[in-house]
Amino acid sequence: MCAIRRATARAIALRVIGIALGATFVYASLDKIARPDRFADIVNDYQMLPALFVNAFALLMPWVEMVTGAALVLGVWRRAAGLLAAALTVAFMVAIAQARLRGLDIECGCFDVSSTSSTKASWSLFARDAVLLAASVLVWRRA
Amino acid sequence: MTADSNSMRTEAITQDEMSLVRRVVRRVPNGTRAAALVGVAVALAAVSNALNPLGIRWTAAPDGRVGIPRAFESRLPEIDVTKAFTLYRSGDALFVDSRDQKDYDEDHIPGAINIPMRRWDEVWPAMQFRLPKSRLLVLYCYGARCGLSTRQGKRLLELGYEHLAVLDYGWKAWREAGYPTLKHPEEGL
Repeated sequence: MCAIRRATARAIALRVIGIALGATFVYASLDKIARPDRFADIVNDYQMLPALFVNAFALLMPWVEMVTGAALVLGVWRRAAGLLAAALTVAFMVAIAQARLRGLDIECGCFDVSSTSSTKASWSLFARDAVLLAASVLVWRRA
Repeated sequence: MTADSNSMRTEAITQDEMSLVRRVVRRVPNGTRAAALVGVAVALAAVSNALNPLGIRWTAAPDGRVGIPRAFESRLPEIDVTKAFTLYRSGDALFVDSRDQKDYDEDHIPGAINIPMRRWDEVWPAMQFRLPKSRLLVLYCYGARCGLSTRQGKRLLELGYEHLAVLDYGWKAWREAGYPTLKHPEEGL
């Protein structure tokens, strides 16, 4: 009985984590999808991709976020979505870390790409992404 | 064979097919499903970008610029430094310096006004009254790979400014050409 309760509590906890993670990804994708031109500018600022691929990345990545987030919220293919969420978050962490290490003073482009007074790419965002990564791995491996 | 047995058979086939699909889907490892989700994202991105009036090319524009809505490409031309200098001498254009204020204060093209793009949200409300829509505006920033002027141009296009040009290689090209600056007014004349 106790084991069943524990398993149920674990399943509920994983579901809640998945929904929260998914909602975060969906929310993060909205402004980028609406303004691919501004998101492309921010991607360009990170100086990680050759100009040829910047637009394609700026068009595709927000939709990967959206589809991943929607799958997590709806509970469809949660483990696959968890895997994608983890991969995306690792990419974000690499991008932020290399920007900080190279001393680039740029906007994060995490949630808002339209304002010029939004959050800068910083180590605190790197830490926030580490929390998202932990949640993603949890959903991927345990859901 | 009765109608009833026919319908039972159809139902059985449907159930068989469904369980087959379910079995196949269950066997797909996470990686394959993740790839399928990426495939859905690619399709949605293509449709969304085609329908978005601010949609962009999938690759860089022919001039190498990125992040320019297709609708803006021809309305935000780049000009070289020689052409910019001709406009400067004729007085036909107003120069807009998109760099940070400290760099503008250090030196700039004489007559240029400073609208630091990195602080656009803060400075634009006060600056908008100084920027006439009727004049040609030549926007410049630091130099290679600096998209601040192009970004500023996009904002201005959205606000109804139609006479715009971006100085290719910006301040760097102007200095290298030896054209006049506030601190070196007689150069290039």
